[in-house]
Amino acid sequence: MGTTDINALSLTYFLIFLVPFVFVCFKVKLNIVNKVIYSVVRMVIQLSFVGIYLKYIFDYNQPLINILYILIMITVATFSILNSTKLKIRNMFMPVFCSILIPVSVMLLFFNNAIISINNIFDAKYLVTIGGMLLGNSLSGNIIALDNFYSDIKKNEKIYLYSISLGGTRIQALAPFFRKSIIASINPIVASMATIGLVALPGMMSGQILGGSSPAVAIKYQIAIMLAIFFTQFFSVNLSILFSIKMGFNDFDILKTKIFN
Amino acid sequence: MIKFNNINLIYDDKVLFKDYTLNIEENEKILISGPSGCGKTSLFRLLLGFSKLDKGEIHYNNQILNKKSIRKIRSHIFYLSQDIDFRNDIVENIIKEVFEYDLNKHLKYDISQINKYMIELELDENLLSKNIIDLSGGERQRIGLLICFLLNRPILLLDEPTSALDEKMKNKVADLLIQKGKTVLIISHDEVFQRNKNYKKVELTNGNNGY
Repeated sequence: MGTTDINALSLTYFLIFLVPFVFVCFKVKLNIVNKVIYSVVRMVIQLSFVGIYLKYIFDYNQPLINILYILIMITVATFSILNSTKLKIRNMFMPVFCSILIPVSVMLLFFNNAIISINNIFDAKYLVTIGGMLLGNSLSGNIIALDNFYSDIKKNEKIYLYSISLGGTRIQALAPFFRKSIIASINPIVASMATIGLVALPGMMSGQILGGSSPAVAIKYQIAIMLAIFFTQFFSVNLSILFSIKMGFNDFDILKTKIFN
Repeated sequence: MIKFNNINLIYDDKVLFKDYTLNIEENEKILISGPSGCGKTSLFRLLLGFSKLDKGEIHYNNQILNKKSIRKIRSHIFYLSQDIDFRNDIVENIIKEVFEYDLNKHLKYDISQINKYMIELELDENLLSKNIIDLSGGERQRIGLLICFLLNRPILLLDEPTSALDEKMKNKVADLLIQKGKTVLIISHDEVFQRNKNYKKVELTNGNNGY
């Protein structure tokens, strides 16, 4: 049993909402019409491409290609994080790339082996979809964590340096900043775990039910994926700050300004 | 003991020091004064390795300040910054954290010693349980000095340590600092230090130190 297909043409029916949307924006002087249209167009184009190449990836289903696909996604995620946090690619690519790669690979192997026990742990159907969800969340978590950490340090550099002068190691002096940014980055997912299902059904669960899974299966998957997302994100943000610290400070423990764009 | 040797420093496109030399002997008390922006605090930052020299050298006990020696040099210096840059937390936690730092592991967190210095600095005992942000400027300065006494390091760099204290306390601190038998570099506009003959005066000027 599958989901009823949507006619691509019928997606354009959404244009009907464009009229009241533009009307409201105009009335309350919301200057976001262009931005929204830009984002919608990007979403449509990006997802269309994903639809095309995912079809091939699922058809071929070669472990090497699937792994390569995950690596490419991690690379894109890293660029996206560095872009949003205004950190230099040259200095920060490797630390951030590794801090996503390590927890995501460990979690994917664990998930496919221990949790759903599939025979081919590199099966595209699981590797690519679960990997994508882990990555998406690590991406947002890392943006919050790194942005928080480095803007806080820049703003409160005196406090950091004062701890250094009082005898702290670089890690000891950075610890309060570290803790603050980790908490800021995992707070959203901790909050969403606590309220999940109360109001809205998560996207993955809805998708599975529409796809024909029983609610019981969908819920088990949802619990598993939430835990996987949480742990992956948690370890990823810890690593990314830790690894980036190595690149971000000089031999005198001073924050390097050249790591910022 | 400390030697700034022909140093050059440009900060924000402004020449603060050019071929400037300053020698500080052990146990000397140096009062640094001069208009704002003339490089007083920069001199401290250089010695702490927080700013980088454009030219010249800094020596400490015949050891050149570089990336190898900086941690050791820092471990001999107590620095009290002008704004006393503690992060906001309960005073007691801040002091405890300082004692957990690697360079202070040889020291013991000793409440009786803290109490002794608090009496000396006329600080109320219940300040320890307050948030640092709720303290007055004068109380913060004295908490800074309390940590200074606890760490007992040989060199003290004090940036306006008494600006928010009353006259009586200013005098007391000026005397206490002499009794401690340390090498003291102090930036202050306070008369107390200007009048005190134990402090050697170093006057920095705006934009032409060492010209």
